[in-house]
Amino acid sequence: MAATVEFYQTMKLSDKQLFWLEFVWAMTIKEIKARYKHAILGFLWIILNPLLQMLVIGFVFQFFLPVHVDNYFLFLFSGLLPWIFFSFTLSKCTPAIVYERSLIKKARFPREAIILSIVFSNVFHLLVSLALFFVVLLFVGKVSLLQLALLPIAVVWITLLASGFSLLATALNARFRDVNFFVQAVVPLWFYATPIVYTLDLIPQNLHALFYLNPMTAVIEAFRFALLGMPVTQASLWLVSVAASLLLCVLGWVVFQRESRYFDDWV
Amino acid sequence: MKKKQIAIELKNITKRYVLHHEKPTFSEQVIRRSKREEFLALDDVSLTIYKGESVGIIGPNGAGKTTLLKVIAGITTPTSGSVLVQGRVVSLIDLEAGFNPELTGEENIYLNGLVIGMRRKEIERVFKKIVAFADIGKFIDAPLYTYSQGMKLRLGFSVAVHANPDILILDEGMTAGDEGFRKKSGNRIRQFFEEKKTIVLVSHDMHFVTSVSTRTLMLTEGNVTY
Repeated sequence: MAATVEFYQTMKLSDKQLFWLEFVWAMTIKEIKARYKHAILGFLWIILNPLLQMLVIGFVFQFFLPVHVDNYFLFLFSGLLPWIFFSFTLSKCTPAIVYERSLIKKARFPREAIILSIVFSNVFHLLVSLALFFVVLLFVGKVSLLQLALLPIAVVWITLLASGFSLLATALNARFRDVNFFVQAVVPLWFYATPIVYTLDLIPQNLHALFYLNPMTAVIEAFRFALLGMPVTQASLWLVSVAASLLLCVLGWVVFQRESRYFDDWV
Repeated sequence: MKKKQIAIELKNITKRYVLHHEKPTFSEQVIRRSKREEFLALDDVSLTIYKGESVGIIGPNGAGKTTLLKVIAGITTPTSGSVLVQGRVVSLIDLEAGFNPELTGEENIYLNGLVIGMRRKEIERVFKKIVAFADIGKFIDAPLYTYSQGMKLRLGFSVAVHANPDILILDEGMTAGDEGFRKKSGNRIRQFFEEKKTIVLVSHDMHFVTSVSTRTLMLTEGNVTY
């Protein structure tokens, strides 16, 4: 037996959507503002974080991985930026519904705004760091405008992917609190299962399909192609990966919508 | 006589909660599958409230009052039954909930207003009134963690009453801040009664409820008994 719930407000349908947009937008601005209110270096942290990771990982790994790229640091950075976006978003979103219980218990509002605001604030960070990276690339001097046209698509793609995983993980975490521990355990392992510090051609050919099961593989390759013009290992598997990402996004959305009606009961 | 318009219509509302003794986890779910204790908070409740009515709900602790209000406010969804609510519901319970301590008073007014369903333009229109009513003065630009408990309550109350609610949810113990503000907020609530807003009021105090509301319901163990 399902419950039917109808709330009539003096709003037209388009007003409802406008409210939704306003709401998600305001929450995103809040998310960005609240994070940097007291940090002395403020927005510098957006770029400092991937830079430090690049320096440490780059310094260590260039000695043991026979990666054939022109500049290992540029190669690393172009993979680290999307990875940091994805892992930060997922790690922060998973416990978010539980953390925001005081908001959930206060009123009826579109619950997905809590998650989307985190995703979009991280998209903002990703765009800032991509812009700075682009300036560096201009100096290094290998920018193809044609490839660069793919960059917005790659950003949208990874945003869909991160939203899908985040919505799914946070909805499940409201019901099963150990989902957060699971995500915390998996994210560092996932880093090594994704070609970020290495390229796929170091892996035996017959294992490539296995790597493409990881939806992050293709999207990282898309970023590398757009930024550095690096060839794609298996283009046909890309399409599968794009489709899988879309499917995941839909799945996350559906599960979240179904569960969000009962968040109040579980948090 | 004008035909009475329905504000809230609840039909056969049943709400069942899964009782957790510990934090709910997946591992636990797998290990002990069959063991699921449930708690029946609302048992087949039907209730129609018309526009302009003020309905008092009394009942002992654990009778399902809060659950009923949550269903009306759309915060939770019943296990079965149908809910129909027409108009904006604003609750004056948990007033400081949903504020962000890092943001300023101004930023929080906007955020809180949106959370309870106001449009940005609406908030802009009543912003000055909200600030004046809450009487937080220079603190409007300060982050919320610098506010006293009373100031937060006042701000929450002020945003809620300026949201132009069609349906108001009240708690008897709902008085905020010091003597002066208590008077002011009491007056504002009285005004809502005089404006013939739809009001749902919960309380333990029979006398108080019957004196202010047009109809009183008794809720015991998830059942409405009149």
